[in-house]
Amino acid sequence: MAKSAEIARALLTAAREGPAVASCTVMGATAGVEVSLGAKMLVYAERELGGIGGGALESAVADFARSAIPKHLVQTCAFTPEGEFVEGRRAIEAAEAIVEVLVEVVEPAATLLVVGGGHVGLAVGQLGAMLGMEVAIIDDREDYANEDRFPYEANVICGDFGEELERFPITANTFIVLVSRGHKVDELALRSVAERGAGYVGMIGSKRRTRTVLQHLAEEGLDREALDRVFTPIGLDIGAETPEEIAVSVLGEIILVRRGGGAQPMSEHGRLLASARR
Amino acid sequence: MPHDEVYEAMSSSFEDGSPVALATVAQTLGSTPRKTGAKMLVREDGTFVGTIGGGCGEAEVWQEAMDALEDGDARMVTVDLTEPVDGEDKICGGIMRIFVEKLEA
Repeated sequence: MAKSAEIARALLTAAREGPAVASCTVMGATAGVEVSLGAKMLVYAERELGGIGGGALESAVADFARSAIPKHLVQTCAFTPEGEFVEGRRAIEAAEAIVEVLVEVVEPAATLLVVGGGHVGLAVGQLGAMLGMEVAIIDDREDYANEDRFPYEANVICGDFGEELERFPITANTFIVLVSRGHKVDELALRSVAERGAGYVGMIGSKRRTRTVLQHLAEEGLDREALDRVFTPIGLDIGAETPEEIAVSVLGEIILVRRGGGAQPMSEHGRLLASARR
Repeated sequence: MPHDEVYEAMSSSFEDGSPVALATVAQTLGSTPRKTGAKMLVREDGTFVGTIGGGCGEAEVWQEAMDALEDGDARMVTVDLTEPVDGEDKICGGIMRIFVEKLEA
C-alpha cells in the first residue's frame, strides 16, 4: 500500500510535469459493502500506484481509469463490488450494491501557443488564459509582442518566428494557433510545427489561401498525414466576425478536440436552425 | 484543471509530519460554483489552500474538514445551495456532494 506522502508527490509531479495519471478515490459505498473510504490508486498508462482493495473491482476501475486518460475525464463513477461499471442514475438506484469512485485525470495545464500577436492572437490568448491554459504568444514585431499588450498572464516572446518556434517545446498537450499577419509567416510557422506531434494545429485563412500553403509544404516533402491533421480554415462555424468571436470559434474547436464533443447545438431547435443555414 | 497548489501544500504538510483534510467535490447537480474534482485542503491550524466555490457552502465544508482532522472519519457532505438562508439569496442554486477525508503521511 503506497503511503499518502508518496501519492501526494506523484500527483504533484503529474500536475506539474506529467505524464498524465488517472487518480481514483473510493468516495462512497452502499452500507455493508467492504471498502475503505478514501482508498486511492493512481493509474498510469503502464502501471499503478496504491490500490483500492484489490480483486475484480480494483482491476475494473484501473481499466476504466486508463481509458479515461486521453479523455481528460473527471467524473464520479459507480461500480458494483464485483467490478461491473454501472451507468446512469436509474441503473445506479436499481443496483443492489454500489461503490462510488472519483476518477480524475491529473495532468499539466494545456499550453496554448499563439503565433501572431495581432487582434485575433490577442483575443485567442485571452480566452485561452480564461480557460486555464498556459498561454504563449510569439510575434517578431515589438509593438505586437510586449507584455503591456496582453492584459492576462502570458509568456510573450518577441523574436524570429522560425528560431523561436524551433526552440519552443511541443507535446501532445500543446495547442497551436497560427494567426499571424500573413500567409508567408503562417507557412513558415506551420513548416516548423506540423510534424512535431502537437495536440492541435489550426491555421487561419480562407479555403483557397490555406490550401495553397498546405500544397507548398506538401511539395517540399512535409509529411502528408501531418498536414491533413491541420485544422484549416480554423475554428467552428458559428458565424464569427470580430476577433473576440473568432477566438470563441477557435477555442470552441480546441475544446472539441480535447474533450471530444459532437459540435452541434444541444437543442433540437438549434440543430434545425444550423442545418437550415448550411 | 491541475490542482498543483493543493498537491504541493499536501506534500509539504506531510514532510512536516502534519495531517491535512482534503475536501473534493464528488458530484454536482444544477448550477454550482465549482465542478467535480474541485479541491480544498485544510490544515490543522485552519488555514486552507484551493477552493470548492467561494462563499457558497465553503464555510460549512471547512468546518467538516476541521471535524475530520479531529475524528479521522471520511465523510460525504451534501451542500444545498438552492435554499435562501436568512433572506439572503445564495447566488448559486445547485447541490454539491463533497467528500471530506483526513490524510496523513
